[in-house]
Amino acid sequence: MPDLDKLHQAVIEGDWKAAAAATQAAIAAGVAPLTIVTGCLVPAMDEVGRLFECEEYFVPEMLLSARAMKASMAIVRPLLAAAGTEPVGRVVIGTVKGDLHDIGKNLVASMLEGGGFEVIDLGADVAPERFIEAATTRNANLVALSALLTVTMPSMKTTVDAFQSAGLREKVKIMVGGAPVTQQYADAIGADGYSESAGGAVALARRLAVV
Amino acid sequence: MTGKERILAKLRGEATDSLPLMPITMMFAADLAGVRYIDYARDHRVLADAQVAVADYFGFDHVSAISDPAREASDLGAAVEWFDNQPPAIVESRALLDEKSKLAGLRLPDLAAPGRMRDRIEAVRLLAERTGATRVVEGWVEGPCAMGADLRGLNTLMLDFFDDGPFVEALFDFTVRMEVEFARAQVEAGATLIGVGDAAASLIGPKLYTQHVLTSEQRLIAAIHALGVPVRLHICGNTKRIVEGMGLTGAEIIDLDFPTPLGHARRAMRETQVLLGNIDPVRALRDGTPESVEAALAECFEQAGAAYICGAGCEVPRGTPYANLEAMARFARSRR
Repeated sequence: MPDLDKLHQAVIEGDWKAAAAATQAAIAAGVAPLTIVTGCLVPAMDEVGRLFECEEYFVPEMLLSARAMKASMAIVRPLLAAAGTEPVGRVVIGTVKGDLHDIGKNLVASMLEGGGFEVIDLGADVAPERFIEAATTRNANLVALSALLTVTMPSMKTTVDAFQSAGLREKVKIMVGGAPVTQQYADAIGADGYSESAGGAVALARRLAVV
Repeated sequence: MTGKERILAKLRGEATDSLPLMPITMMFAADLAGVRYIDYARDHRVLADAQVAVADYFGFDHVSAISDPAREASDLGAAVEWFDNQPPAIVESRALLDEKSKLAGLRLPDLAAPGRMRDRIEAVRLLAERTGATRVVEGWVEGPCAMGADLRGLNTLMLDFFDDGPFVEALFDFTVRMEVEFARAQVEAGATLIGVGDAAASLIGPKLYTQHVLTSEQRLIAAIHALGVPVRLHICGNTKRIVEGMGLTGAEIIDLDFPTPLGHARRAMRETQVLLGNIDPVRALRDGTPESVEAALAECFEQAGAAYICGAGCEVPRGTPYANLEAMARFARSRR
């Protein structure tokens, strides 16, 4: 399937126009939308994650690849929805209350979307009640909390506690990340998982989604 | 030696009686002084009181006017969100340069007028009056990449590098011109060193750093040198792949965050380049013990060699036990 090769390459190279064109061509050639995701976008973004981990790619290159992946997903997503295809999992993601630094969260959100998850991105400075509302109304099974500042990390605990108080703690898995966050902190606040990298967050989400 | 003599001697490559001690304190200083951070960031008198208090308590060799990255952006008219007890943040979703065409209409702020840049200049003046005879008074400006991100939005700037290189050049040219004037005003107010914070540069790789950021940092630093003061270049985050370039900026002090081992930096730079840092602020300094802090600093010193200044990788976090910072001071004073 030469069009999927082109799409794979377009995502790796961060060429969103080529990615959109290759996606249209693949669909026109009869490639199933789910095949485009699982057979091309997921491995392409996995490769982007690998290149980032080994410091061949940096944030700009990752964002370019994410933009190309999103250009493809924008075409594929309605087709998946129409066919009733379920994602790997549904993740509500945001930076916690008081934290406006969102680039790390954006990278993780893109990697999760590229990993086959449906991502409900609430943006930055998100109050616990908004996480709860989104997780409830969108039937999410994962919640991903991001913080860049040590001073906003307590909002992670507040959010975890709010899910507990709302009686939803058993229904969602909560993962945390961000520069000052540690596994020790994740354990202390009762989160289900911690990752120190965007690629690791996808692997973590995959593990948590099947538990 | 006074702290000022110690730091300046180290920068000249001369012998010192002990290692200089220059950790960044902001929220930690405000907490020690018992003030809200919103007051620390808005009122130079509060900042100066807190800086002198923290330097006196732990025996720091410098005081600093650093507080947050939003001073220049505020005065240019960017949307900034304030918090009661943490640093203000620039609202990226309402970035000042959401459209590139707006750059052409941007004017340098009037540094004589009331504003957040003026407040920092007055902080420097007050610090120089109160402690400048014996301590280095550090002014602070944003580096070109950080300032560009403050104005354009960090996420957008990252894409601009590939989408529109000439715009990035024009944006960085504006930021350098502005920061040179900001540094000049701080030097005239009594700053004996200027810190340049360019955190966003750690997000890009060596190719883009060399192509777009390095020359702008070099121009900024050369212009600050022309004002007669040395420069501390601080880039938060993982700088392993750009650290060689950082060594070419001309900054007297290369202040590294913890992901970049000082041994790695030393191999990438000349032996006389002064390195500052870089124990993990959270895991080693805040969550460690006095013993583990001293051990981590000993490793830094071992890797950096003689051209070394004690500090953490980034800001001393709020909640750091005093005993751990005392251990850092004890380490500095016991080595030379």
